[in-house]
Amino acid sequence: MSARGFDGPLAEGRRWVEADGVHIDVRGLQPPGPLVAILELVESIRDATPVIVHHERDPQLLYPELAEIGWRAVRLDAEAGEVRLKLERVP
Amino acid sequence: MRLAAGAFIGGAVSRLLPASIPFRFFGAAVVYHLLAWIALGADSQRVPRFAGGLAWPLAALHLVTLGVLAMTAIGASLQLLPVATRQPVLSRRWPAAIWWLYTPGVAAVALGMGIPAPRLLAGGAIAVVAALAAYALLLARNLIGARGMPVVIAHCWAALASLIVVLASAASLAGAYVAFPAIERGMALAWHVSFAAYGFMGLLALGLSYILVPMFALSAAPDERRARVSLSLAVAALLLSAAAASGVAALPLRIAAIGTAAGAAALHWQLMSVALRTGMRRQLGLSFTLVRTGWWMLAASLVAALGVVLEAPFAGMAALFGLLLIGGWLLTFLLGILQRIVPFLASMHTAPGRRLPRTPSSLTAERPLAIHFSCHLAALALLAVAILADSPWIAFAGAAVGTAGALAFGTFFAIVVRRMSIPGVNGNRREAPAS
Repeated sequence: MSARGFDGPLAEGRRWVEADGVHIDVRGLQPPGPLVAILELVESIRDATPVIVHHERDPQLLYPELAEIGWRAVRLDAEAGEVRLKLERVP
Repeated sequence: MRLAAGAFIGGAVSRLLPASIPFRFFGAAVVYHLLAWIALGADSQRVPRFAGGLAWPLAALHLVTLGVLAMTAIGASLQLLPVATRQPVLSRRWPAAIWWLYTPGVAAVALGMGIPAPRLLAGGAIAVVAALAAYALLLARNLIGARGMPVVIAHCWAALASLIVVLASAASLAGAYVAFPAIERGMALAWHVSFAAYGFMGLLALGLSYILVPMFALSAAPDERRARVSLSLAVAALLLSAAAASGVAALPLRIAAIGTAAGAAALHWQLMSVALRTGMRRQLGLSFTLVRTGWWMLAASLVAALGVVLEAPFAGMAALFGLLLIGGWLLTFLLGILQRIVPFLASMHTAPGRRLPRTPSSLTAERPLAIHFSCHLAALALLAVAILADSPWIAFAGAAVGTAGALAFGTFFAIVVRRMSIPGVNGNRREAPAS
C-alpha cells in the first residue's frame, strides 16, 4: 500500500521505452488523467532521460506544471490527430 | 520544433483567449469585492436583522453575487471550458462586449439598490440581464457538441438552465420596483435565491470543481457515477424548492429540498475528499483551507435554510442564512480557487523572454494572500457574531476587516498582473527530483 492509501498509479497511460526516451500514450484518458499520468512519470525520472508524450490534443494545463518542476516541452512531428511532445529537464 | 520560451505552450496560446479577456473579468471582480465590503459597512445598522429591501446591505449582497461570483464565473468558464469541451469560444469579441455591458450594469444595480434609485436599478438590471443572456448563449454554443468530461458538461447545462430562471425572476423583481412585476413577488424571490445561489453559481462551482480540484491536487478523475448522482440530487432539490414556491405543500417540499440538497453536497464532498486525499500534491496551502471552509459553510447554509423554513424563533435567521450561503460557501470557495487559477492562467500568458516562462509559484504573492486569509475568515466570524448578538458595531467591525482583506486580495492580483508582464527567471521554481 502506498502513502496515498492505494496501490498503483493515479492515472494509467501506456508506457514503453525506446532509444529516444520513455514513451507514454495518454490518448483516451479522462481529464485530468493525462496530466497526472505524465507528471507521475516525469517525477519518477531521476536522470536526463526524456519523455515522449503521445496525446490527442495540446495539453494546455500541463505546461505551467512542467515549468514548475524545471522541465520543458518540445513539439515533435506527428501523424494527423496526434500531438507528440518531447519533455526534457531544463539544464 | 523546439518551443521558444515565449511560445512555451505552443498551439495552446492560439487556442487560449487573450489574457485581457479573463483578466478583465477577474480585475472587475477584485474591485467589486472591495466595494461590497465598503457597501456593507456603509449601513451596518441594518446588517444584523437584514431580510431584504432596497438598502446598502442589498447592494453589498449583489456586489458579491453579480460583481464577484458571476463576474469570476464568466471569466473562468470562458477560459477553462474550451479546454474541457475541446471547442474554442465562438468569438473573441463577444466576451469583451459582455464585459462592457455587464460591468457598468452591476454598478448601476448596486447604486440603484443602495441610494436607492429604482429607475437606475431597473436600467442596470436590463444591462445585467442582457449581458448574462449573451453569456448564456455563448456558454450554450460551447457546450453543444462538447466532447469529453460529461459530468462537467452536465453541471454546466444545469447551471445554464438555472441562469434562465434567475434572469426571469430578477427581471420580475427589478421590474416590480418600477411597477412592472411579471411574477408574484414571493415566488420570484424564492426562485431567485435558490436558483441563483444553489443553482447557477452552486452548480458551476460543483461542476468546475471536477476539473479544478483534481487538477490542483494532481489526482485521478472523480468517480463519474457518483458525480452524476450528486448532480441529479442537486437538480431534484432545485425542482422541489421551485415547486414549494408555488405554495402547494410548501413546508414538506422545502424540507425535502433541503434533505435532497444535503445528499448532493455530501456526495460531492466525499468525491472531493478522495481527490485531495489521493492526489500527488498534498500541500495545497491556504487556498484550499478556504475551499474546505467553503464546503463546511455549504453544509451550514443548509442547516440555516432549515431554520428559515421551520421559522426558528430567531430574528436574524434570514441574515445568518444569507451570510453562510453567499459569504461562507460561495465567496470563500471562489476566493480560494481564484488565488490558484489567477497565477496558473497568468503563467500561460507571461511575456516572452530568453529563459523559461514564469511559473505560477513565481507569479503569486503569498504575503497579501495570508493577510486576506486571516481578514476574510475574521470578517465572516465577526458578521456571524453581529447577527447572533444583534450588534451593528460588530457588523461594522466585520465589514472593516473584510475591506482590509479585500485590499490585500487586490494587492495580490495587482502583483500577479505586474509580474506576468515581466519576462524573467523563475526564482521560486520547485526543484525537480535529484538526478
